Amino acid sequence: MKKECLYLFGCGVIAFSLLGCSEGQNEPPSAAADPSGQESSYVVDTEPPGALAVGAARKTVEDEEEVVLVGRVGGSANPFVNGIAAFTIVDLKVPHCPDHEGCPTPWDYCCKQDQVKENIAMIKLVDQQGKLVTEDARQVLGVEPLDAVVIHGKAKRDETGNLALLADQVFIRE
Amino acid sequence: MRRHRLLPWEYGVRNLLRRPIRSVLTLGALSTVILLVFVVVGFIRGLERSLAVSGDPSVVLVYSLGAEQNIENSAIPGRTPALLTASLDGMQERFGIPHVSPELYMGTRVRTGETNTTGLGLVRGVTRTAPLVRRGVRLTEGTWPGPGELIVGKLVAAKLGCDPTDLAVDREIVFEGRTWRISGRFSANGAAFESEMWCRLADLRQTLKRQDLSLVAILLGSGASVADVELFCKERTDLELQALGETAYYQSLQRHYKPMRLLAWAVVFLVAGAGVFAGLNMMYGAVAGRVREIATLQAVGYRRYAILVSIVQEGTLLAAAGSLVAGAAAVLLINGIAVRFTMGAFALRIDGVALLMGASVGLLLGIVGALPPAIKALRLPVAESLKAI
Repeated sequence: MKKECLYLFGCGVIAFSLLGCSEGQNEPPSAAADPSGQESSYVVDTEPPGALAVGAARKTVEDEEEVVLVGRVGGSANPFVNGIAAFTIVDLKVPHCPDHEGCPTPWDYCCKQDQVKENIAMIKLVDQQGKLVTEDARQVLGVEPLDAVVIHGKAKRDETGNLALLADQVFIRE
Repeated sequence: MRRHRLLPWEYGVRNLLRRPIRSVLTLGALSTVILLVFVVVGFIRGLERSLAVSGDPSVVLVYSLGAEQNIENSAIPGRTPALLTASLDGMQERFGIPHVSPELYMGTRVRTGETNTTGLGLVRGVTRTAPLVRRGVRLTEGTWPGPGELIVGKLVAAKLGCDPTDLAVDREIVFEGRTWRISGRFSANGAAFESEMWCRLADLRQTLKRQDLSLVAILLGSGASVADVELFCKERTDLELQALGETAYYQSLQRHYKPMRLLAWAVVFLVAGAGVFAGLNMMYGAVAGRVREIATLQAVGYRRYAILVSIVQEGTLLAAAGSLVAGAAAVLLINGIAVRFTMGAFALRIDGVALLMGASVGLLLGIVGALPPAIKALRLPVAESLKAI
């Protein structure tokens, strides 16, 4: 009798485990996790023309000017702002830490920090009302650190020369 | 239906009492092993709690880019608090006072007492807004520091390795070539601040001849988020600042100490393993002297399973008693002992998790320690065992 009870108990445990697994498979895929970013309305298929390097843009671009910037996602150990679709990009001419050095975060440009300050821009995704998109840029665009991106938007300058871009189109170079 | 008749519960208890010296020695050995487990688990729990409670989810730290988690290496301009106050919305404010705490943080050699005991202390220069942002900090004795004064956290004596009486109110300590009077003592609910000494920011700046700061701590109002401050810091690349929520900061420290915690857990398993072997050794000896008794029980009609259960019961009873003794000793003697550590000091914590771990190890010792000798004794043929000396 005891053996039969144990046998039934074991079968019950296995049955519940399988039920839990099958329920997990039936769950719809998470809507937020879209690593490719292909369905985002901000990502475009063709590169916007007339891209300016970040360093050059910092010297010439005026406030409120429509501009296309090209750069590499990075500039600090965490170039993304958590919870907001904003991130920094660095001019492509600034070399990031080479692979052979084994740096865990080559996108922080720790080897060339002195060059980053004059070759960095903040990218902020805005909606049609001009409000910041309150979702992580990695989720919205599918970008990762060191991705080369070409971004169209409106420039914002402050009195100290910092450059920010209110972006409405992002192209991710292969 | 076949039912296994077990030996009476009292049989195992009486067996333990029949050999009091051996039982007491085994109890002592088991209690010692389990107490060691409590000490190590209490160390881990104390370290984890110190880092966990040190982070306020509504506080964001602004410090220099490139300093990473080493705030001692951070240096930001002295005007940063004013700039942040003017530029950021969403910081907590009451009666017109923004809850912003500029701080200068450093480690330095500190001399205390008449014997000039020297230790490495942590000093934080703060203003009157610090308690508004560091909400867990409470003055437990004395007054807020005036010029040339400081307040000490309740774990500073452990951090410095000095006599606690050297840090009483009105005593003096020396660091950076200057004498400081202790005006008060504070606690911080187990947070890392308890191993620090707080003085006036202006005094520390003057002593160090520095005008910069290590960090600015901001208490966010409702509706504001760390992302707002992060965004500001990343936009103002000219300031070379970075922002990090305080909980994220201490979580990163937790990750930094993960190898040490893993090592400590390994020590727990090693100590438990040593306890198992010690228990095995004792039980082998105990069972070896009862071969005839066990054979007699089999001859009388008890099945091997019942005898096995009885022997395991004895071991488990001893181990449970050992767990109780060790648990009581841990709670009464170990809990709250301050331990000096690299980042400061923290108190050993014998909480629910520690008690559960210790008691579980204890019971495991009892069961695992009794099984092999019991099985060995039961394998002997009954006829031969009855003739054993």
